[in-house]
Amino acid sequence: MSAMPVLDVKNLEVAYHTDETVMRAVNGISFSIDERETVGLVGETGAGKTTTALAIMRLLPERTGRINRGEIFYKGEDLSKKSADQMRLIRGACISMIFQDPMTSLNPILTVGDQILEALEIHNTDGKPKTALDARVDELLSLVGISPLRKVEYPHQFSGGMKQRIVIAIALACEPLLLIADEPTTALDVTIQAQVLVLMGELKQKLGTSMIMISHDLGVIAKTCDKVAVMYAGEIVEYGSARDIFEGRDHHPYTTGLFRAIPNLLGESRRLYPIDGLMPDPSALPSGCKFHPRCSGRMSGCDGEAPFLFEENGHRIQCNLFRKMAGQ
Amino acid sequence: MTAILKTTNLKKYFKIGNNGFLHAVDGVDIELERGTTLGVVGESGCGKSTLGRLVLGLLPATSGEIYYDGVDIMHCGNAELAECRRKTQIIFQDPYSSLNPRMSVYELISEPLVSNKAFRNKAERYARVMELMDTVGLAERFINSYPHEMDGGRRQRVGVARALALKPDFIVCDEPVSALDVSIQAQILNLLMDMQDEMNLTYMFITHDLSVVRHISNEIMVMYLGQCVERSPSKELFRNPAHPYTQALLSAIPAPVLGGFAPEKLLRGEISDPINPEPGCRFAKRCSQCGTNCVGKDVPLEEIEPGHFVACTLFTQKGGMPRNTS
Amino acid sequence: MTDIIASNTELRKKLKKKSQVAEIWRRFRKNKTAMVGLFIFVFIMLVVIFADAIVPYSVSISQKISARFISPGQDGHLFGTDNFGRDIMARIVHGSRNSLLVGLGAVVCGIVIGGLLGSVAGFYGGTVDSVIVRTLDTVMCIPLMLLVLSIVAALGASLVNVLIAMMIANVPMYARIVRAAVLSVVGQDYIEAAKACGTSNFMIILRHVIPNAIGPIIVQATMAVGTMIINAAGISFLGMGIQPPTPEWGAMLNEAKSYMINYPYTVIFPGLAIGLTALSLNLMGDGLRDALDPKLKD
Repeated sequence: MSAMPVLDVKNLEVAYHTDETVMRAVNGISFSIDERETVGLVGETGAGKTTTALAIMRLLPERTGRINRGEIFYKGEDLSKKSADQMRLIRGACISMIFQDPMTSLNPILTVGDQILEALEIHNTDGKPKTALDARVDELLSLVGISPLRKVEYPHQFSGGMKQRIVIAIALACEPLLLIADEPTTALDVTIQAQVLVLMGELKQKLGTSMIMISHDLGVIAKTCDKVAVMYAGEIVEYGSARDIFEGRDHHPYTTGLFRAIPNLLGESRRLYPIDGLMPDPSALPSGCKFHPRCSGRMSGCDGEAPFLFEENGHRIQCNLFRKMAGQ
Repeated sequence: MTAILKTTNLKKYFKIGNNGFLHAVDGVDIELERGTTLGVVGESGCGKSTLGRLVLGLLPATSGEIYYDGVDIMHCGNAELAECRRKTQIIFQDPYSSLNPRMSVYELISEPLVSNKAFRNKAERYARVMELMDTVGLAERFINSYPHEMDGGRRQRVGVARALALKPDFIVCDEPVSALDVSIQAQILNLLMDMQDEMNLTYMFITHDLSVVRHISNEIMVMYLGQCVERSPSKELFRNPAHPYTQALLSAIPAPVLGGFAPEKLLRGEISDPINPEPGCRFAKRCSQCGTNCVGKDVPLEEIEPGHFVACTLFTQKGGMPRNTS
Repeated sequence: MTDIIASNTELRKKLKKKSQVAEIWRRFRKNKTAMVGLFIFVFIMLVVIFADAIVPYSVSISQKISARFISPGQDGHLFGTDNFGRDIMARIVHGSRNSLLVGLGAVVCGIVIGGLLGSVAGFYGGTVDSVIVRTLDTVMCIPLMLLVLSIVAALGASLVNVLIAMMIANVPMYARIVRAAVLSVVGQDYIEAAKACGTSNFMIILRHVIPNAIGPIIVQATMAVGTMIINAAGISFLGMGIQPPTPEWGAMLNEAKSYMINYPYTVIFPGLAIGLTALSLNLMGDGLRDALDPKLKD
């Protein structure tokens, strides 16, 4: 705990400004990632997961997306104050990102070997010889379980799971300290998803990379993360260790609702338990607790001020229901 | 009891290149009772969507037979076919791409009514659309909305309303909740189950997600590369998955509990295209228990328990007993 | 259940059916650049309609050698005179009729016929598609000018025949654009959804394919009008189209090109007329495309 965290996000606020409206996508979130740690961001569509990732990478759409407030410290340096040139050096070499769809994140007219090589060459600041880079390409491919002989092939010659492995190889090419994986397995079949998740876990162990895992699937989060942040309408409503979230007793009502809504393989009941209502519109967020219009445990004060922040051994829950518990 | 839908040895081959045939659906038998749900499960490319389109007559079958309510729809007259078409409907996976972006909710829901000239005057049609919106839980104020103005759950409700418009008996649900968030997914699944109870509907529920299908199906069929590898009553399948592929599918689902996957149960390799497949078990290449009997000769479905059918050589040897259970 | 709605008007009110046209116009009006385009185009159309009231036709063709190359603004010639001493403004005003007829006519007819062929090819696919596409490709192989000239030569030189020739030459291009647009729509799930609920092919093309495919076609069409006017001028120049001294913008450009260096205004004004027409149509086209798309509603 004494060491400086790899990434420390403090009170981050991001909004998209268009001509008519302001979409408040991320509303003051804080979390940190230590070395070799995986933090999961889980939530439904529109929770602000991807926006958070793009803000860290400083890849928000230039004309509309803006970081309004907050700091993003990468090893003590505030990324939100870096120039575009400085960020370019950081991206890929220090922080890299895996996108959701492997089908569209590879260039169809370059061989996969060339694409990995390209990533290496961009950050080849100390002038390593070409042969060394080539050797590194082979090494990376074997690392993700693809024969180096296949580096002369084109993306269309690989299946979806293989493509995602190549994308991972590119992301890991420069041994980044932090890897942001945005729904890396959502486009894959379950059996392939399991393979890729296992591979990512192994690589993380081997290389000591820290990771942000973004997913809508609590199952994927359970299999990969050390810490979990449950996001709703741009806020982290619950944050804690994986044990707190998956085995703990106290939860935010939204977390509870999410767990109940998952179709499971064991229970006897036929009916499912949805959360009533819908995700709020980010251009017209409700006052007070953002979840209160859908919450079954809603009380009189929930629509007024910001909800109570309960904290116990690093397990944070933003909910007025816990006011009493804390008072004890 | 007569089945509402019955197919025998249904096949659909797509021509690929000059002499290649993709065996998308290769000899599938279905028997579906009225008011029940058949879950069809498999990974992308296993032919499950093609199967759904075949039984609706949206795609012509290469060979085999399809009986809908006793009518041979591959050889019947146009009038009978039109009647079958009216009684069979489909709900699509992506409610965004399956709704015309330039039509309002009213136009979308009334389209099947207009196309089938179901009502003589506009007022009656309007009343029916309102009734449908009420049934699927869409508020009246959305009547002039366009698909892009609604969220995924509401869009899928429009899709359900369209399918219900002509009071069908049989609905193919092609991954109806895969594009939705979990909390909304549960809403739609409950809606589908309520509709079934209320109108005695028959569903063919196509999905890649075993955990979803468990809640809604009476019987489940697991498909791999165009063939049915296991068919069983829903509870029995989850209690006693027999085929190695079904077992692998089940163990690959990331359950929301801590702890990693069991690596020994994970499948190696990936699904390939069934282009001119060799005879034999199509899963053999990825199967950890593959033996010499698995190649060279097709493996038929065998009944190992009442109603539980498996196509695997592990069960065909000694009168349905597993050869090797380790 | 809701009460049965009594009258059609009440039903319309419920469904906010201000008629499609009113809705499109409401959205179009919000687009300022499109409105600028519309104003320019309306102005040009007014000139077309009231040409005779602005200046008699005889002025545009009366030659006076003594009045050659009068600079704009002098002796009552607002735009000056050309090499035959004809008033350029009168020629532009009266030329507008011929130019717009050729430009708009060739494009509109080309789109209708090409659109029909393209949507049939794209929607049905298979053999129908192959036959139509191969035939059109063959036509496309013949250089445009050669094709037009041979058609005009066969039919005889006149404005209408030039129009027909250019329309035929245009059909393949539009058929291809429409086919591509239709193909991108036909692959969509909502087409299959419409088939599944029993909608006829005709209704599918009318209600689903065309409204979704029309965007790129409108833009392409509005850009082509200017080109068509120039092409018609080329044919006139070769003596196969509009016969002198009939005023026509493209023909005016051609006639003036030898004097361009010394008397630039002889090309500037007809050029400006063509440019403004093309610009106004282009702005309108963009606006119309957006207005037709409910996704870009408010």
